Amino acid sequence: MVMPKIDVSIKDLESLSGIKLSSREKIEELLEFVKGEVDVIDGDNLKIDCKDPNRPDFWSVEGVARELKAKTGKQKGIVKYKVQKSNIVLNVDKNLEKIRPLIVCAVIKDIKITENLLNQMIQLQEKLGESFGRKRKELAIGIYDLDIMKPPIFYKGFKDNEIEFIPLEWKVPMRPSEILIQHDKGKAYKHLLEGTKLYPIVLDSNNVVASMPPIINSQITGKVTSQTKNLFIEVTGQNFSTIETALEVMCMALADRGGKIYSCTVNYPSNKKPYPAKKIITPLFSTEKIVFSKKELLAKTGLELKDKEIIELLAKARFVPKISKDKIIAEYSSYRIDILHAVDVIEDLLISYGFNNIVPQKIEMNLVGSQSEEARYIDFVREGAIGLGLQEVQTYNLTSKEIQQKQMLLDEKEEFVEIANYVSLNYQIFRKKMTPQLLSFLSKNKSQEYPQRIFEIGTVLELDKSKDSGVNQRNVLCVAITHSNTNFTEIKSVLVQIAKYLGKEVSVTKQKFVFLGENSGEINLGGKKGFIGEVKEDVLKEFGLKKPVTIFEIEL
Amino acid sequence: MLNRVKELSEIERKVLLVLSDELISFENCSKLSLLPIDSVRRASAWLSEKDFAIMKESTEEKFVLTDLGNKALLEGLPESIFLSALSKLGGRASFSDLQKASKLSSQEFTAALGINKRKAFIVIVNGVIEETGVANDQPNSCENILQNVVDGKEIEDGLLLDLQKRGLVEKKLVTSRLIKISKNGGVAQKILSTSDIERTFDVSAPVPEIFAGKKTPYVQFLQQIRHKLVALGFEEVSAPLVVTEFYNFDVLFQPQNHPARTWTDSYQLLKPRVGSLPNKKIVSAIKSAHENGGVSKSKGWGYEWSESIASRAVPAMHGTAHSARQLVKGVKSPHKYFAIARCFRPDVLDATHLIEFNQMEGFVVGDDLNFKHLLGMLKDFAIEFAGAEKVKFFPDYYPFTEPSVQLSAKHPEMGWIEFAGAGMFRPEMLENLGIKGQAIAWGVGIDRLAMFKLGIKDIRYLFSEDIGYLRKASGVFLK
Repeated sequence: MVMPKIDVSIKDLESLSGIKLSSREKIEELLEFVKGEVDVIDGDNLKIDCKDPNRPDFWSVEGVARELKAKTGKQKGIVKYKVQKSNIVLNVDKNLEKIRPLIVCAVIKDIKITENLLNQMIQLQEKLGESFGRKRKELAIGIYDLDIMKPPIFYKGFKDNEIEFIPLEWKVPMRPSEILIQHDKGKAYKHLLEGTKLYPIVLDSNNVVASMPPIINSQITGKVTSQTKNLFIEVTGQNFSTIETALEVMCMALADRGGKIYSCTVNYPSNKKPYPAKKIITPLFSTEKIVFSKKELLAKTGLELKDKEIIELLAKARFVPKISKDKIIAEYSSYRIDILHAVDVIEDLLISYGFNNIVPQKIEMNLVGSQSEEARYIDFVREGAIGLGLQEVQTYNLTSKEIQQKQMLLDEKEEFVEIANYVSLNYQIFRKKMTPQLLSFLSKNKSQEYPQRIFEIGTVLELDKSKDSGVNQRNVLCVAITHSNTNFTEIKSVLVQIAKYLGKEVSVTKQKFVFLGENSGEINLGGKKGFIGEVKEDVLKEFGLKKPVTIFEIEL
Repeated sequence: MLNRVKELSEIERKVLLVLSDELISFENCSKLSLLPIDSVRRASAWLSEKDFAIMKESTEEKFVLTDLGNKALLEGLPESIFLSALSKLGGRASFSDLQKASKLSSQEFTAALGINKRKAFIVIVNGVIEETGVANDQPNSCENILQNVVDGKEIEDGLLLDLQKRGLVEKKLVTSRLIKISKNGGVAQKILSTSDIERTFDVSAPVPEIFAGKKTPYVQFLQQIRHKLVALGFEEVSAPLVVTEFYNFDVLFQPQNHPARTWTDSYQLLKPRVGSLPNKKIVSAIKSAHENGGVSKSKGWGYEWSESIASRAVPAMHGTAHSARQLVKGVKSPHKYFAIARCFRPDVLDATHLIEFNQMEGFVVGDDLNFKHLLGMLKDFAIEFAGAEKVKFFPDYYPFTEPSVQLSAKHPEMGWIEFAGAGMFRPEMLENLGIKGQAIAWGVGIDRLAMFKLGIKDIRYLFSEDIGYLRKASGVFLK
């Protein structure tokens, strides 16, 4: 999975957090508090690898600064954002219920749009939609210039012939279907509206279109510039907690820059699923509580902590904790969707404590280890093959139909364990036989010294409905010899020696194989089947091999 | 001088004895000394290095054998095979009998028939081929001429032209090496030819190369890693290449809408599309873990879990899939498990990326395991496998562990490397599968360490298709 990488200005981070970032080491150390890693530092630009997919509040410079202030003890517990009431109303139409039913919104007033703010706002909007919103499927964010919108706002589905507007970075009005075909963003996200007859539209009381979620904003209201003073933000999606989290994350970042948060009233068509309520005022900035035992915390961490220390460490992770006897009650912001269980709080406590401040402890268990019998047997066979002077090789399990089928002169109807979304035709299927892989290997070594005597022990796969993975996996030994005078006798001598080494009876009965010449047969090695012979001239030609090759392949 | 002569090898002596002030080719030298040409070449190089001989190169246009010519020289030309088959059949044979006996293709047979007829080596009487005996009186068979070409003997232009037309010889610029005796060589030759001097070996001299049967360095590396884990008390579990998403993701508490489960981040199979899930009790335990936390005190992910997504078959994407299989099968406690797993991810093969790679993964189960044990185990690994001088821990994220850690190790030569990831399996997994106590899961990136131990910069050499590299590579020994 590609986790978000965010760019921040080091100076900006210093001024927002009040912490001096004097060296790379210092930055690296501090980023541990937000599960971040330095990707690149280039002058004032710091690229951060964000490793936790469930902490979108860390995906902006404001969010990083907010957490650093807590972890360094400058500001503890939950940040109390002041939310004032606006009289802006957003009315949601029932006709989007099956398409993209939910929307939440907020207003940010009196904001001074600086370059840093604008960059971070766009970056956060983008990362939330892409990573947290699963490529906008679960959430998409629209940000508009409030002063050119006339509330109340409407969120409603329109047919293709009912609406047109100028999308961002475009000059002429277009219908929704045209945007999906022609506009870059339309092309990129059109699958999200596949098969729908109604297109989700956000518009104001003058019927001016603000956006078509989750695809694109309109050119008129959807362009935020340094002149913009008041913002209207909406988030659409399928799941209320996801979109509310995204809205709060956006609002917090802008409020940390001096913006004033105002709530809006969202009127849903009903209070039944998928709607959270008939009427809801967002952003909620609600909190939740989790209760767990102190015993559990101490057992999990292995640390000896006093109540005071627990309180302090949790407060640094932005919890509001209380301890009564054995119970810990930790209050936290609802946007912390990563908190499913007490262990999620415990990890936060450990991060506050500092992983590197903990003394590691050896695990004392009196156990006898063992290799799997399979691995030991493979190694046993390998020793035998090496004793015969054979060079081991290791080829890939993934290969092509060209090698496994065409060059082996095998029937095109033959089926393989096959990858649907292969990256290259060279690695489209799993090998079903080892022989073609060794012939391919030899074909790459024609300029090397002969004779060449090689072997591989490895897995081959075939379809098998009786197995729980749908695949039967077997280990085989394959030996190939090539030089001007190799013949059936030479390869059979190797087989007989291997059989002797394995302590098994071996017999070869004459049988034809499409890829083997006249001298070929079926092997029975203590009940396991295989084939042996001189590789057919036509097959050698397919692989571009000039010298004769003798081969056997046997199941282990 | 006497000591220097004593040190000469058998082949050097033989070559030195036939050299004179006149430049001769290696081929001639080979004939005079009765040594194979490779030995002449080697001896000449050594003699010239010792200042007993002088080598010169000369380039001239020469007739040489083509691949076809070489084959003909070795096996005979179709017309000769034709004749010898005929003579074996008593000098008379029908077309079909002769073709069968000669094992020539019909095209070769027709050509051979024409040539032999033209040369009057055979006649056809009433559809039967008969030999004339003329061939026996002809010393200049084609094979003889081909041999003469190899030997560099004078050949009639007409004959050469004929061979060229048949694609048996071609004109090529040939650089040949010539050799003659030097002044010192002359003295040495005199000593050698007048008295019987026993050889003393120059023990510092190079010797011919031989190729032994060997494991690939990567296999050898992995074997020793296995042994180390066994010594640390771990039991190996099997690691099949294809598993259901149930093990790859669902048992590991990875929600079904997780971005890692999408088309671009993971391989999907066309055949087979699905496998089967284990018994209903386990499936419903995992379902409720995802939906509402099940018997654990977790909230769960709060979505509707689908059996059909979990049944999809996929190439194993990470080694933890095999830990998941073991957790479902049931675990002993206290116990330690590991797997060396072949994993697959959609990537483009290049010097730093493999499309299939090995991961070393496992877990430890026990009643009283805590976070300090997790750090202790990682530190032990870093010392055992990477000879780490220092270690550093970083918070990390895995869907199936909480808390999660990444360990960086300071390797004495490689510097700081990201070495391992680990964490404590989430209660949603353990409690819903009925596993008591705690479990520490870990994974170590061994391919980078393998590259270092093998001394390679290009990761593709782990699965090298170059037999030259495999033959020359040193064995791998982990301290």
